Amino acid sequence: MVMAEGAAVLRRNRPGTKVQDFYNWPDESFDEMDSTLAVQQYIQQNIRADCCNTDKILEPPEGQEEGVWKYEHLRQFCLELNGLAVKFQRECHPDTSHKTPKECPAIHYTRHTLDGAACLLNSNKHFLSRVSIKESSVAKLGSVCHRIYRIFSHIFDEYENETFLCHRFTKFVMKYNLMSKDNLIVPILGEEVQNSVSGESEA
Amino acid sequence: MMEERAAAAVASAASSCRPLGSGTAPTPTAAAPASSPAPGPGPVGKGGGGGGSPGPTAGPEPLSLPGILHFIQHEWARFEAEKARWEAERAELQAQVAFLQGERKGQENLKTDLVRRIKMLEYALKQERAKYHKLKFGTDLNQGEKKADLSEQVSNGPVESVTLENSPLVWKEGRQLLRQYLEEVGYTDTILDMRSKRVRSLLGRSLELNGAAEPIEGAPRAAPGPGALSGGESLLVKQIEEQIKRNAAGKDGKERLSGSVLEQIPFLQNCEDEDSDEDDELDSVQHKKQRVRLPSKALVPEMEDEDEEDDSEDAINEFDFLGSGEDGEGSPDSRRCAAEGNPHELESRRVKLQGILADLRDVDGLPPKVTIPPPGTPQPRPHEGSFGFSSDVFIMDTIGGGEVSLGDLADLTVTNDNDLSCDLSDSKDAFKKTWNPKFTLRSHYDGIRSLAFHHSHSALLTASEDGTLKLWNLQKAVTAKKNAALDVEPIHAFRAHRGPVLAVAMGSNSEYCYSGGADARIHSWKIPDLNMDPYDGYDPSVLSHVLEGHGDAVWGLAFSPTSQRLASCSADGTVRIWDPSSSGPSCLCTFPMAGEHGIPTSVAFTSTEPAHVVASFRSGDTVLYDLEAGSALLTLESRGSSGLTQINQVVSHPNQPLTITAHDDRGIRFLDNRTGKSVHSMVAHLDAVTCLAVDPNGVFLMSGSHDCSLRLWSLDNKTCVQEITAHRKKHEEAIHAVACHPSKALIASAGADALAKVFV
Repeated sequence: MVMAEGAAVLRRNRPGTKVQDFYNWPDESFDEMDSTLAVQQYIQQNIRADCCNTDKILEPPEGQEEGVWKYEHLRQFCLELNGLAVKFQRECHPDTSHKTPKECPAIHYTRHTLDGAACLLNSNKHFLSRVSIKESSVAKLGSVCHRIYRIFSHIFDEYENETFLCHRFTKFVMKYNLMSKDNLIVPILGEEVQNSVSGESEA
Repeated sequence: MMEERAAAAVASAASSCRPLGSGTAPTPTAAAPASSPAPGPGPVGKGGGGGGSPGPTAGPEPLSLPGILHFIQHEWARFEAEKARWEAERAELQAQVAFLQGERKGQENLKTDLVRRIKMLEYALKQERAKYHKLKFGTDLNQGEKKADLSEQVSNGPVESVTLENSPLVWKEGRQLLRQYLEEVGYTDTILDMRSKRVRSLLGRSLELNGAAEPIEGAPRAAPGPGALSGGESLLVKQIEEQIKRNAAGKDGKERLSGSVLEQIPFLQNCEDEDSDEDDELDSVQHKKQRVRLPSKALVPEMEDEDEEDDSEDAINEFDFLGSGEDGEGSPDSRRCAAEGNPHELESRRVKLQGILADLRDVDGLPPKVTIPPPGTPQPRPHEGSFGFSSDVFIMDTIGGGEVSLGDLADLTVTNDNDLSCDLSDSKDAFKKTWNPKFTLRSHYDGIRSLAFHHSHSALLTASEDGTLKLWNLQKAVTAKKNAALDVEPIHAFRAHRGPVLAVAMGSNSEYCYSGGADARIHSWKIPDLNMDPYDGYDPSVLSHVLEGHGDAVWGLAFSPTSQRLASCSADGTVRIWDPSSSGPSCLCTFPMAGEHGIPTSVAFTSTEPAHVVASFRSGDTVLYDLEAGSALLTLESRGSSGLTQINQVVSHPNQPLTITAHDDRGIRFLDNRTGKSVHSMVAHLDAVTCLAVDPNGVFLMSGSHDCSLRLWSLDNKTCVQEITAHRKKHEEAIHAVACHPSKALIASAGADALAKVFV
């Protein structure tokens, strides 16, 4: 919501804002952001701008500490995976392996994983500050990635075309070496991964 | 010590005497040299005359004259020694007593003089007002008592003549009046408390003076006009502090007994002895001073005459600004600043004041300036992003339970006379409570937009922009060593919305809850057992129903247990009423009002009248609807004089027909449901007020704002009783929601930083 007073731009989604008007403010460069949640703001801003441009989204700004960058991206992944989980929940049809949605292992797994990831990513012990991350905590990010990746391998549908979430996630784990290539089993991205690995530099 | 040696010598003499036999010649000589080296006051050495026999205590030896003599002599020596000791002790104690008495008198004198100065200022202020009134209205302001009575209340209010022995009741009324004036100006009570604490610390402990301090009455009316004073209390404190600093700075060469404050005494005491360069308006003030003057003298050495004159001239000159400020004449002292009230100066001065408080002995000469803050504007504060804690917040946090201490001064206590918060103690006891952070709810990925407490248990629901709602059971909190606040994990996550969840409301008996999101849907959920394990299997029956009907984001939800109705408002411009019963929820009625009032932002059921719903709008209107009639009843005057200002939340008072609205223009308004008129309006925060919550007993109001602060207000007198700084900003949003538990002493806040905090 851009206010009409002078040059002040108020980046707020105030009550009463229509959905189409959400985030209806000019983008900020990363350096201009003076909040402690700047990294999250920046990532979300880039995703809104163009969710297919995974390279741009994954590219950290100058001088940004890598641990924090990875952490904030993981948070954003978990946030967006929620949408995936919701959609799956809605569309889960009983089939031979399970009779009711209650028994659906994929849903269980997804929810369980997402809840667990939320717990870990928000735990005070490992991730006390959102501005600087301990080295030991950075190691935990790898395990979170493994679990999250398995969500993708459990369910994969047209959600992907809307958000390119799996693409981005795969690139993310490759770029920051959070998982080994062998674990990447989701078929559609197999070739892409082969191509990109040779071109990617070690992050 | 001599006495001790003498005593030792006597003791050794006595002990050496005893084992000796009777009457042997060498023994007295042995005894004598043993005792002679002691140059005691007593004639210990005179034992030479005594015989060798020990005293009567030795036993059956026959008493001989020399022995007796010896005994008597050394007993006397002992007595002398003791007496000397006692004398010394006594002298010491007397010296201490004298010193303490002197100190005390010094403090009392300082206080009297400060009080005197305050009265002088008050008087001058009155004169100023009279002048102003005369200029403005062409008539004389009815001052009531023009006499130089000790306490001149602001004349527009009740005028009271107070005797030297002020009664606390009078002070209380006066204080209430002043508080009210200050509020109109925009000074919240946190600032008042801060100022009063400072003044208290300056004034010290003892208050048995005649005509002891009145309530600090420097606060002016919120009178419009250029030179009008505002924030008088702060002004007073600043002046007092400036004076002290100036005097302290000017007396480096002087001997100081205890701190710079004592040095005020001689000059202040002699103030009244001088004459002639006083203005007329100070004549009567002098008269007052004399009546109040203490007879005692301080222990500080007398100052030289020239210094006295300088200082008193300074003191008098300080008052010139009062007379000349309005007319724009320059005061004799070029240090006075004009009444434009540079906000930045104000800010830097506050920082300096904090420095002063922290260490009274600091004499890094501040350039003394008297700045007059612009009337009616809230305290300007530089917003330095998320950690924009200016000194203001710091200082105010001392009231609100923050960590900044005033150093030694924090230990000073004041008797009830000067305690500005004593009127608070007259109001409900529940109110003296200070809220402290207890739990931090960390699990969401994005800002939390809404909160709702469970009706009976220590549990709450949070709704977040990350698309989930989470249920938290505070009794299952986990202790984290590092933090004072306990970390809590959610016991359940509700996933069904696509996109941010913007509103949540608890159903009757907390069996069901309702959430509204940006996807225009309202979901009703069955709340799972609070003792469930978070990692239990997925239970799809938790998602109960979907209420569809709105066309755009649902921003507000309210549930009425009495009528079992759910009200919702949406960005599509409508307010809808639903019957959310589990057999098939349906939309009962729709109020389309975009045309008339704009887009609604918040709804609430009125507690006193279950069939009424109040809704607030982006345009600043608040409308009362009658559900039975199905139409709008009344438009409440929440727009105010400044025109359009979005209302972010509306709440209803639990016991009274009162509606409270939170505005983007930083204010909170109280509206009467029956007449529609605004009962009270106040500037509450430094940025848009985003959320409100009333405690279930109607005692206090909680408000949250994008200035990162939560404020608690007493509903009796609409004053702020606590400010808590919580949450960090994301973009320009900080706090989205606040809530009070319906039956427990718990309050919670939800922020854009994805955290919810619970205070006890």
